[in-house]
Amino acid sequence: MAVETQTAPRGLRRRRIRPYQVVQIVVAVSITAFLLYRLQYVLFVDDLYGLDTWTRFLISGLVIGAVYAVIAIGYTLVYGILFMINFAHGEVMMLGAFAAYFVFEALGAIPAGAETSFLNTYPIISIILAFIAGMSVSTGMGLLLERVAYRPLRGGPRLVALISAIGASLFLQNAAQLMFSPRRRAFANPDFLSRGAGFEVMISGRPVLITYTGTFVFVGSLLLLALLYFIIQRTRFGQAVRAIAEDQEAAALMGINVDRVIAQTFALSGAMAGAAGVMWGLHNGIVYHFIGFLPGLKAFTAAVLGGIGNIPGAMVGGLVLGVVEALGPAFLGLDFQLKDVIAFSILVLVLVFRPSGILGEVVAEEKV
Amino acid sequence: MAIRNGTRAGLIFGFIMVFLILIGVPETINVILQEATTNIDVETGQVINTAAFLFVMGVVAGFAAARKEEPDPLSGAVLSGLIAGLITGATTGLMIIILRSLALSEIDLREYLDKLSPTAIESLALRLSPILAGGAHVLIFALSGATGGLLNWIGRGPWRGPVGQMISNTRDRLARLPIVAQAQNSPITRYVVWAAVIAVVMIVPQFLNDYWSFVLGTVGIYVIMGLGLNIVVGMAGLLDLGNVAFFAVGAYTVGLLTAPEPVGVLWDFWTALIFGIVLAGLAGVILGVPVLRLRGDYLAIVTLGLGEIIRILIRSDLLKDFTGGPRGVRDISGPSLFGLEIGSERTFLYFILVGIFLLIFVTIRLKNSRVGRAWIAMREDETVAQAMGINTLNYKLLAFGMGAAFAGLGGVLFASRNQFTGPEDHTLLVSINVLAVVIVGGMNSIPGVILGAFALKGLPEILRQLDEYRVLVFGGLLVVMMILRPEGLWPSQRTRLQFSDEDEPVPIELSSATSAAPTPIKADVEEQKQAATR
Repeated sequence: MAVETQTAPRGLRRRRIRPYQVVQIVVAVSITAFLLYRLQYVLFVDDLYGLDTWTRFLISGLVIGAVYAVIAIGYTLVYGILFMINFAHGEVMMLGAFAAYFVFEALGAIPAGAETSFLNTYPIISIILAFIAGMSVSTGMGLLLERVAYRPLRGGPRLVALISAIGASLFLQNAAQLMFSPRRRAFANPDFLSRGAGFEVMISGRPVLITYTGTFVFVGSLLLLALLYFIIQRTRFGQAVRAIAEDQEAAALMGINVDRVIAQTFALSGAMAGAAGVMWGLHNGIVYHFIGFLPGLKAFTAAVLGGIGNIPGAMVGGLVLGVVEALGPAFLGLDFQLKDVIAFSILVLVLVFRPSGILGEVVAEEKV
Repeated sequence: MAIRNGTRAGLIFGFIMVFLILIGVPETINVILQEATTNIDVETGQVINTAAFLFVMGVVAGFAAARKEEPDPLSGAVLSGLIAGLITGATTGLMIIILRSLALSEIDLREYLDKLSPTAIESLALRLSPILAGGAHVLIFALSGATGGLLNWIGRGPWRGPVGQMISNTRDRLARLPIVAQAQNSPITRYVVWAAVIAVVMIVPQFLNDYWSFVLGTVGIYVIMGLGLNIVVGMAGLLDLGNVAFFAVGAYTVGLLTAPEPVGVLWDFWTALIFGIVLAGLAGVILGVPVLRLRGDYLAIVTLGLGEIIRILIRSDLLKDFTGGPRGVRDISGPSLFGLEIGSERTFLYFILVGIFLLIFVTIRLKNSRVGRAWIAMREDETVAQAMGINTLNYKLLAFGMGAAFAGLGGVLFASRNQFTGPEDHTLLVSINVLAVVIVGGMNSIPGVILGAFALKGLPEILRQLDEYRVLVFGGLLVVMMILRPEGLWPSQRTRLQFSDEDEPVPIELSSATSAAPTPIKADVEEQKQAATR
């Protein structure tokens, strides 16, 4: 963080380049050079993948990125007002996915008409029910986490809250493992949203499949993001949230019930995580106790990438991360196993070069 | 008041009981107790054990409910305990009625809820029919809740004050005796204590079999890594969740340098040991340069990411020829001393112990040195430390490098003792374990680290049946420790003073005697809050 160089008066600033800046420049130049080299390689030398494959990557990246964006919103909301990383957010999402899974299983077992189940006779209602279940479980979980693991520590050192959050995350993950067994379960979608079905688009002479689930998830995420943006910008609650993010004490003096708004923020972020969990299950089709961990970390990366604490930032960050992660391995000529390495490397690079993220304001030391 | 407290506690404990049943705790306890009491037949044992477990939980619920009561009346304490018990019992009773009915109609719940096997439900229902079982639960919880309330009332009874007074008086008087004070300050005492500790620690392994030597060896390796992380987290205040990266560097260095495959250089263990430590330390410094500029919680996430990157890289096909990929590295050689092979678990334990003593010595010297003071200053307030002329980045790098080197040593020992290392040895859980060791034991406290390693790596070995709950308990423990005892089980002297009430500044007398205390400054309020919560 180059805070001291920015706050020092111009005349006093020393123009000496520090060793750290040298390292930064060297790293930046070499990464740029490598990226340019790969770009010309991919474009002109070796077209291992045709345009159709790139489109497939792009589509899958956009869908996953939209889900990341929805999860990242939860991190950003909480970080915005408490300056705390809610490490257990991914686990909240996982529980939401489980709730939806159980709803689908239950509805799938209820017979309705001849040879079909409730799930397939009334798919829209089923999906709405699944979202309601997933979002309410996650909302409850968010509230519970705030009450049990975070509220008693508010005002203490930030490290303490973070350790507590890590503990909560481990706890939830293992509780889910113990309750539901570590088995991977197939998420039973209603037939009309079955995975693998979709529209076909011809690109450079080959068919590219845009799955229904992907479309559904992408549109659903955008709707949720719009809804959230509306809540934060247009409602009294959103106003209170922004006021607390700006200055907690002043907000309290203006008559805002800080405790309540913080709890409601956790509820809202939990609801977002729950919806993301349901969509994750619908799209990827697998649910088990570990599905929250990596998306959680990635979404945090997305939040940081966009500028943590900044809501449009989280949306942009999520989409960018999803796309980069999907295109990255092919573009860099790496194995697809190393997809996660790309995400984490982005996290490190962003924090090193632009800790405020893509859309983030440069915040002063005291505030963060 | 009693009704409200009771209802509150009852609802909370009802929720906890439902959760415990869902994760299968009652059945596990039942199994443990059945192994302990062999002379009772299985069916009676089932009922007795479950009833006992329910009773204990009810007592706890009642106790907790009565805790918030007004100091005096017996009736209030018992009433709130009773209500708490009734509500807890009603919750579990309702659950058991449903579960038992489902089980009796031959529906296997394990498809969705793994722990609800027919036997588990049978013993939870005390082998009764659904309705009777529900009633039994309510009854047991009501009784035990009232007992808990009563116990709470007895516990805060009048005898407690004088006895506690006597104990603390005796302690004070003992401490004030001139000979004790002299002994406390004299270096000779310190040497004697150290000699005694070393002697005991060196003799104990003679009485251990291979299994326990192995367990203690694992504890020892965690002590080493905990000491390392203690420098980073405890002294310098940098939350590092990527300790496993350096553990992996150490393990793979010794693996690749001494194993016949995949590199096959077959170096001597001791050279590999030095290489492992130095490389891990170097890796710490190199990775530290970019990330140490970050603030506390960002640092935590980035180090966590680095740890994951290393694990993914080890596994990947990219480095398969170099690291053996998912298969790992086999046949790592162990140390030998003057031609004497250190092969058995016991001799290896001695080897680890020597390492621990060396590292404790290093840590103590570091802690009391200029470097250690700089770290502590930095942890307390980075800006002020900088203003005092401490080059924070260099000191952070030093701390990070030291922590990494210790972790590297841990990795070397771990790999060469197991004669194997693979990607599954280097999961995030290792970092979290080490962090938990440091935090549960007490940050910046060497005995704390040892205690923490015993508590977290040793105890689970004794209670093997509880193994599957270990990570769950870790997680819960981290939260609970942060809320109740953020200074750890065995805090260092400095932290203890920070957290204790006795050393608060003497309140300045105000003119009116009725105004309780002068408004303390903000920082003090926060400390008091933390002290009050424990």
